[in-house]
Amino acid sequence: MREKPAIIGIGRTKFGEHYELDPEDLIDEAGLMALDSAGIERKDLDACYISDYLLQVTNKIGLEEGFISQLLERNIPIERMRSFSSALLNACNAIEAGRYDVVLVGGMEKMTDRWSKIRDNLMLLEDHWAYYAGGTPETNHELLLREYMKSYGIRGESQEKLMMTLAQISVKNHHNAVKNEYAHFQREIDVKRVLAARAEEKRVLGLYDFAPISDGATALILASPKKANEYADSPVYVLATTLATDYISYASRPYRAGFIASKISMENALKIAGITLDDVKILEAYDQSTVFEMISLEDLGFIERGKSWMELHKNFEDFKGFYYLDGKEVYVNTDGGLKADGNPLGATGGAQIFEVVKQLRGEAGQRQIKPDGDLLFGCVQEIEGFGTKVYVHILGREKCGK
Amino acid sequence: MGSEPIERRVSYVGDRLKGSRCPFCGKEYFRVRKYCGNCGRISLGKMEDIDYFYEKGVLETCTVVKEPTNRFIRLGSYIYGIVSFHNGKVRVPGRLTDIILRNDEPINLEDFEGREVVPRFRRRYSVERSDIIPTISLAFTFADEYYPHQEYEIIRPSKEYEAPGIVGYGVYVSRFRIKEGGIERSVPFIDEDAITAAVESGKLSLIHSGVDHRLVGKIYAGSESNPYAVNPIASKVAQVLKLGEEEKVEGVQGVDAVDTEFACKAATSMFKDAMALVCYPKNPMKYVMVIGADNAQAAPRGEPGGELDFFVGFGGAAFIFGKEDVIAEAEGWYSCTSDTPDFWRRDLEPYPQHGGRFTGEPAYFKHIIKAGRKLMERMNLKPSDIDYFVCHQPNPAFPARAAAILGFKPEQYAPGLYTSKFGNTYSGSSPIGLAAILDQAEPHKRIMIVSYGSGAGSDAYLFVTTSQIKDKRSRQKFTVRYQAENRFLQYVDYATYRKFKEGL
Repeated sequence: MREKPAIIGIGRTKFGEHYELDPEDLIDEAGLMALDSAGIERKDLDACYISDYLLQVTNKIGLEEGFISQLLERNIPIERMRSFSSALLNACNAIEAGRYDVVLVGGMEKMTDRWSKIRDNLMLLEDHWAYYAGGTPETNHELLLREYMKSYGIRGESQEKLMMTLAQISVKNHHNAVKNEYAHFQREIDVKRVLAARAEEKRVLGLYDFAPISDGATALILASPKKANEYADSPVYVLATTLATDYISYASRPYRAGFIASKISMENALKIAGITLDDVKILEAYDQSTVFEMISLEDLGFIERGKSWMELHKNFEDFKGFYYLDGKEVYVNTDGGLKADGNPLGATGGAQIFEVVKQLRGEAGQRQIKPDGDLLFGCVQEIEGFGTKVYVHILGREKCGK
Repeated sequence: MGSEPIERRVSYVGDRLKGSRCPFCGKEYFRVRKYCGNCGRISLGKMEDIDYFYEKGVLETCTVVKEPTNRFIRLGSYIYGIVSFHNGKVRVPGRLTDIILRNDEPINLEDFEGREVVPRFRRRYSVERSDIIPTISLAFTFADEYYPHQEYEIIRPSKEYEAPGIVGYGVYVSRFRIKEGGIERSVPFIDEDAITAAVESGKLSLIHSGVDHRLVGKIYAGSESNPYAVNPIASKVAQVLKLGEEEKVEGVQGVDAVDTEFACKAATSMFKDAMALVCYPKNPMKYVMVIGADNAQAAPRGEPGGELDFFVGFGGAAFIFGKEDVIAEAEGWYSCTSDTPDFWRRDLEPYPQHGGRFTGEPAYFKHIIKAGRKLMERMNLKPSDIDYFVCHQPNPAFPARAAAILGFKPEQYAPGLYTSKFGNTYSGSSPIGLAAILDQAEPHKRIMIVSYGSGAGSDAYLFVTTSQIKDKRSRQKFTVRYQAENRFLQYVDYATYRKFKEGL
C-alpha cells in the first residue's frame, strides 16, 4: 500500500462577511497561517490546488491560479477546483503518485459580494431544470425532507418529533460555534427561535435550518510522508479521500430520501482507510441544512435508514455534546457545522478538515473533545451541489488503520 | 438568460417536455437521448421520441416556495415539487400555476401531493423587457380542476367534402376573472400572455379535430398584443405543437408560420386564406390552422385610453381548416375595409388609444352591418335563413344592437355572446363566439360570423354545420361554456388584475 499524505499545517480566516477584503486577501490570510503552522515557506511549495465554487459569478474573475502565483511570487503548478475536497483529493493523488512532496491546498469564496443575486446563481448551478421550474436552493432541502418522511411513514406525532429534532440540531451547532473564534455566528440560539422562524416564514424549514452565505478562506499544507516527518511532529494523515457522484437532477434520481453518493463514498473511504465506523469518533457532516445533518448520519452508515430522527430525538432528551449511537460516542460538527461556522462554498471543506485536524492533534482548545479511548480517527463529509458530488475524507493520527 | 442559444435549447425541450424511450427495456428519459443507459449500444439511434406535453402526471412531493429566486419573485408564493409521469418512469421538477396562495391560509402539503396534474405552457420567469421571453411547460395545474386532462388522439379522416371548412377548433380562456359593472372578464395568470394563449388554443384544436399535427401546412397567429414587436407568435406555436413534418436533424418544422395583425380581425381575415390553401390547385395543404389570441391591453383608468380598461379580456381561439371530416363547411364570405383609425397603438407605446366617437357608428356598426348585409345579399339569404349569428363583441351592448339592426333575434345571437363572461378578447372575440355556437349547434345549421377590426374592416363568413359536428363533440371537454361557467373560476380584485395583465 502506498503511504498516505499528511497534513502538516492548516489555517483559515474567520467566516462571515468580509466587506473590505478581496477573495485573494482571504486566501492570503489562510495560506500564510497554514504555512506558518507547518513551519515552511513559500519556496518549499511544489504545487497548489485551490478551490472556489463561483468566483467567476460572484466576483467576475477567473484564472484564480494567476492570483495565487502572484501572491506566492512563484511559477509552480497551480490548479483550481470547485471545492476544497476536490482540491484535497487531487493533491493527495499527486502526492501519492510521487509527483510532488509539499502542496498547498486552499479554498476561498466571496459570496456576500453578490448578496442579492446569489440564490439564482446557486440554484442554476445546483440543478438548472429545477431552477427553470421555479426551485430555490431551499426547496430541494424541503423536498428531501418530505421524501424522507414519506419513505419512512413519518407523520403526526413522529413528524412533530422530527421537526423538533431538526431544530435541536441547529441549536446544538450554534452552541458549538460559541467556542469557535472563526465561526460566522458565535452565538447561542434556542429551539423556540428556530420554530418561530419557521412559523413566521410559514415554511417547512426556516432561517435557522439553513447554513448562511459566507465569505472566507481556508488552507492546509499537504506533504508526502517522507517530508511530513521532516517538518512536523504530529502530522495528520489523509487515510482516505473518496468521491462519488450522482445525477444533476434530484428529481431524476431513483433514491431521493437521502444521498446515495454519500453512502458509496463513505463505504469506499472506510475500506481504503482500513478502519470501521466504530473507529470514527468525530464527524464533520455537511449540514447545509439541519435535514442534511440528520440524513447524512444515515447515508454515512452511523444510523439505520429511516431511524435517524428517532435516534437523534432520544439523544437530544439529554444531550451531552455528542450523539450516542449504537453504543458509542460520535461528536458531530464540533465547530458549529456549516450552520454556525459558516459556508463559504469553496472554503467550507477546509474548515471541516481544520476542525478534525485540530481535534485529532488535541489543539482544539475550549472545543477539545474527550471521547472514551484514544481519538485516532476523524471523518469529513463534503457535498457539492445537492448530493451531486459527495467527498469523504478519513483523517488519522496513525499512518493507517488497524 | 441573456443567451439566445441557451434559450432556444431550453425551450426546444422544455416547451413540449420532450423525452426518449428505449424500445427494448422501456426506460424513459426527460430530454432527448440517443441511447438507453440500461441497454447501451444496441439502443443507439433506436430511441423513440416521446413527449409529456399531452400527458398527465402526478405531483408526488411538494413544498411551498415563499422566497423565490429573483426571476420568480413576481409569482409570489407558489407550490413547487416533483412530478412523475408514466407511473414514475420519469420525474421532473415543476411548479403549480394558476393558484393564488393566500398568506393567511395554512397550507397542508398533503392536500396537493398524490394528485394528477397537467403540464401547461407558460412563461418561465421574468427577464428584462429587451430579452427573449422564456417559456416552459414545467408548470402544472390539477387535472380535476379548471383545466382537464384530454388525450390527443390522431384520427384518420373518413370523409372528404367538396367545400372546405372547419375541421376542429379549440378555445382557451384563463381561470381568473374580474367582476365589475355586471360583467365578468377573463384575466391571465401572471405567467400567461398572447403567446401562451395561442399555444393552448392550438393544442386544444388539435385535440378536438384529431388532426395529425404533421399535416398542418400553415399556421396563422393573429394578435394585437404580441409581447414582441418583432418575433412571431406563430413560430412558437409551430415548434411547440410540432406542426408540419419535423426535420429532426435541424430541429425545424416543415410548416409555414406567420403572424397577422389587424386589431380584432387579425384571425378572421385569415379564415379565407386558410381555406384557399387547402383548395390550392397544385400542392394543396391538408390543413391550415388560424389562431386569434390576445391579452388585450389597456391603459390604467383615468389615463388616455383608460376607458378600454373596463372591457379588455384574455383568451384565444384556434380553428383548423381543411376538406376532410369537416364539421362546418364554408358557404361564402365578404370583407370590407376603410381607413378609419378608431383604435391604434404606436410602436413602443404600451397601451392603445381609442378614437372616442369613431368607435360606434362610423367604425364598428358601419363595417359589421355592411359586411353582414352584403354577404346575405350575395348568398340571397334573409336573417331568418340563418340559425346563428355572431359578431365582434367589444362590450355587451354593441353586438346585440348590431344583430338587431341586421334583423337577427336574440335566440339567433345569444348563444355566441360571451363578452359578459370573458370581456373583449380582441382577435379571439368573434372566433370564441363562433366556437361557442359550434359547441352546441346541430348538424345542417347555418352560422354567420362577422368580425370587426379597428382601422377598420369586417370579415363576414357563412358556415353550414355537417353531421360530423356531433361525432367530434365528445373529444372536447374544455368547451366555451365549461370555461365560462366553471366552479373553479377564481375572481381577483382590480390591483391583481392589473398585475397579472402586466405579466412576469
